[in-house]
Amino acid sequence: MAPGADRTHSRRDSLLFAACVVLSVAMLVQPAWGERATGLIRRSVLVPFLWLQERAEASRTTRSAFDRLRAERDSAAHAAQFLSSLRAENVRLRGLLGLGERLRTDYIAAEVLHQAMPTDGRTLLLSAGSRAGVRQFDPVVGAEGLIGVVRTVEPERSIAMTWAHPEFRASTFTQQGEVFGVIAPATQLTGSEQLLQLRGVAIRDSVPAGTLVVTSGLGGVYPAGIPVGTVLGSAPEETGWERVYVVRPAASPAAATQVLILRHPSAASLGRAFQPDSAP
Amino acid sequence: MISIRADRSRLWVVLLLLVVLHFGLRPRLGYPLIAPDFLLLALILYAMRSRPGAAAVAGFLVGLVGDAMVPARIGAGALAHTVVGYLAAWGRAVFFPDNLFINGLVIALAVWARTAIQLVASGPGPGGLLVPLLVWAPLQALTTALTAGLVLVVFQRWLDIRLDA
Repeated sequence: MAPGADRTHSRRDSLLFAACVVLSVAMLVQPAWGERATGLIRRSVLVPFLWLQERAEASRTTRSAFDRLRAERDSAAHAAQFLSSLRAENVRLRGLLGLGERLRTDYIAAEVLHQAMPTDGRTLLLSAGSRAGVRQFDPVVGAEGLIGVVRTVEPERSIAMTWAHPEFRASTFTQQGEVFGVIAPATQLTGSEQLLQLRGVAIRDSVPAGTLVVTSGLGGVYPAGIPVGTVLGSAPEETGWERVYVVRPAASPAAATQVLILRHPSAASLGRAFQPDSAP
Repeated sequence: MISIRADRSRLWVVLLLLVVLHFGLRPRLGYPLIAPDFLLLALILYAMRSRPGAAAVAGFLVGLVGDAMVPARIGAGALAHTVVGYLAAWGRAVFFPDNLFINGLVIALAVWARTAIQLVASGPGPGGLLVPLLVWAPLQALTTALTAGLVLVVFQRWLDIRLDA
């Protein structure tokens, strides 16, 4: 290749690279531009690929559910040889207490379509959208507790902002309802564990380690009683006007494979739905 | 000319296969943070055979697709993949001899660099930067490099490379 042509190619390469970097930075600075572009990509080019991923996720979930059920059946069969009378009593008591349907609010089950990006877990792509009845700001929960809230809804899919997102906030109180605060991710550079912070606690209040923090129901997005995490201890607070506590989250968005999207959550507390069964 | 066109179409077949594997196989491979990144692998294979400008554009598009699926900080993925694609194409004369180990090493470095750039551009999260950069990224780099080795061995004639070992 002639030196002149090579120089032209080289200049064109540099220009293309610079243009891509400028566009990327522009989207970082102006997220609205990027949201329009990425929404268009999700609704067009990605449709067949996301459909393929949904099938793969569903197949994996089905297989693991089958394995779990088989293990449970084997355990039950083993236990039934020795504990049949206790089992029967347990079933009768469960029936009396109405624990068969613990979650009384309407919900939609959705698969989580995890991605290879390192920020996966701050937002989650869910396999249910507006056609299934999902709406913006619907709460998203896992079996252990709060995962996040639906941020974007499309006909077939939706995107949830999880508690790991830097902009996530939720009004919470301690399980006994004595101390209120706002939960937010504990953004840090050198941490080794994903943690939350309970901020805005009045200086006169103190929360002992091990206290369960649940959603308060204030604000109208999250119903009361969804477990958020457990207090690990207090964190330093610079201004001295509030107390800040470090909270270990109840549910992990990065590990969630299936979630429930709560529809029309009532004002009643959902706390009982998340309490573990007392008997085996 | 026909040979070059045939080689190019074979490359596109391999890239398409990797895209299908990314969406169809990857979800079945376990924990998503360490499963191999087939899309990034496809980008590097393309960058190895393209000019830096084209590789940068391909990286931008792959990153934009990633941002569409994980819109935590839109633009961070596009930026990270643009830089990685450009550098992979620009440095191929130095870094891509026909050696399987070197190929795997460069692909592993690309995965780690992508993760580092994207996390820095996205801002710190609740887990900090140390664990993602020192635990998850190296593990994903390892699985992606092993997958790359497999792909290069299986498709070495299609990708027109002579592997030493």
